Amino acid sequence: MTRNLPEHPASYRDPAGFVFIRDGRVYRQVAPAYADDYRLLMDSGLYEKLVAEQLLIPHEEVEAGTLLPLQLPVISYPCEWSPDQLKDAALLTLKIMRIAIDHGMILKDASPRNIQWLNARPLFIDTLSFERYDPAHPWIAYRQFCESFLFPLYLHHYFRQGIHRTLAAYPEGMPAGALLPLLPLKSRLRAGVWLHVVLPAIVVNSGKAGRVGKARPAGQISFDKRKLLLLIGNLEDSLRGLRTEASHAIGWSRYYSETIMSQAYVQEKEKLFREMIAAIDFGSALDLGANDGYFSQILAEKKARVIAVDDQWACTNTLYRAAATAASEGIASPTSEGNSSRASGGHIYPLCVDIAEPTPASGFANTERSSFTERAQCDLVVALAVVHHLVLTKNIPFGLLADYLAILTRQWLIIEFVPVSDEKASALIRDKPVFHKPYDPDAFEAQFALLFSIEQKQLIPGTERILYLMRKKADAI
Amino acid sequence: MAMLLYIDPGGGSYLVQAIIAAVLGFMFYFKTLWFRIRSFFVRPKTKPPTENDKEPS
Repeated sequence: MTRNLPEHPASYRDPAGFVFIRDGRVYRQVAPAYADDYRLLMDSGLYEKLVAEQLLIPHEEVEAGTLLPLQLPVISYPCEWSPDQLKDAALLTLKIMRIAIDHGMILKDASPRNIQWLNARPLFIDTLSFERYDPAHPWIAYRQFCESFLFPLYLHHYFRQGIHRTLAAYPEGMPAGALLPLLPLKSRLRAGVWLHVVLPAIVVNSGKAGRVGKARPAGQISFDKRKLLLLIGNLEDSLRGLRTEASHAIGWSRYYSETIMSQAYVQEKEKLFREMIAAIDFGSALDLGANDGYFSQILAEKKARVIAVDDQWACTNTLYRAAATAASEGIASPTSEGNSSRASGGHIYPLCVDIAEPTPASGFANTERSSFTERAQCDLVVALAVVHHLVLTKNIPFGLLADYLAILTRQWLIIEFVPVSDEKASALIRDKPVFHKPYDPDAFEAQFALLFSIEQKQLIPGTERILYLMRKKADAI
Repeated sequence: MAMLLYIDPGGGSYLVQAIIAAVLGFMFYFKTLWFRIRSFFVRPKTKPPTENDKEPS
């Protein structure tokens, strides 16, 4: 370390350098020991090629060894991604590996945390992950790649539970020994399972018994570039063969376009919603319970950066696919029919997060990765058709909900109140009659009025639902 | 050359990669061989359709 700079708590692992924040900007400092590898990255043409193909984060060397990378508006973690996001991040990592090998370099780690999202595209952010390639050595990050990318996707392929909970439970990746007993027998029909799961599990077990480890020290294993490329090709094929799409069994995806909610309701709500957002200024928005992103798309049209959150991985996956397609075509393509002519706007960041259980701060000393609450704060928070779920199902009182939304929003809140007489709400309490009472607009307004001023209150025609536009009070939280 | 490793490659990870590469190399060899053998026998059969394709025009 050349200077006494405050390191970011997440950057202690790699001795090649560290991240620090100065005047609200994130910088990356290259350690003297890593200077040669960094120069090779820059001089071999690798950096130029990766940046030109929008695979690696661009940076500016503000002074010798101090890099100012492109500043990312939203930071998310793999435990908040959908299966397609993890798969695309995995394929990006392998694509970068192939290009790096062509330039005489290799990735020394393969964690999904090296990837962030920009305009619905994965972007490799760790400029210091590249080191000189020695063809005689196998890939040091192979195990990490399998455990943190491939194995959660195997589990999802067979059980369709998303990958977010797997990676929340195994932040450093899932070991082969933990995955193997969970995989069904039919998984043995896949050559990839034999090669990347069964074989490592056997080798690790026999290594523990002291046989393999002693017989073959790592340095004596012969390896070459052709073998590494075969391995990468096989990992790519294995990943491409895994299912990530949403199945029809998921109940919430396409809530707005296919459920019994009438088209008239959606149209009336959209009309009121558009009037409300036309009256306010915002550069960023957080859409809670975004579902298929119908309203996130409307927010994005206002050139806002939109974090679209849903606790159903299938919704996040659908929204991510739509956003990725729209980004690659350069036009907006909302998931609902009849709106394909919508103009392109800001960018949508789809994340799979349960608002009643948001991602906690985690990692060493709980400072390595910040909480969802710290990362998700926006000018506008939108909570459409979610209040009844949080209050009636999760038993969150109005007061606590108002407190949390006041933390998440910097200024504006658009929130929909769904009364118990509503078809959707009554379905929630049919078998669960105990919830915080009174549950009515008066009690709702009384609690929210402590922290917000109610600017607009509109009954959605044809329903008993109410749409509110609120502004956070200056003295609130 | 001494390698500076900042992540643990994992017990036996290098051996696993060597075995996988050997298996894949073996499969690749036989796949190539199989295609060569098949193309030797299949070639005469694939010719007539291409000639038929030309006739109508």
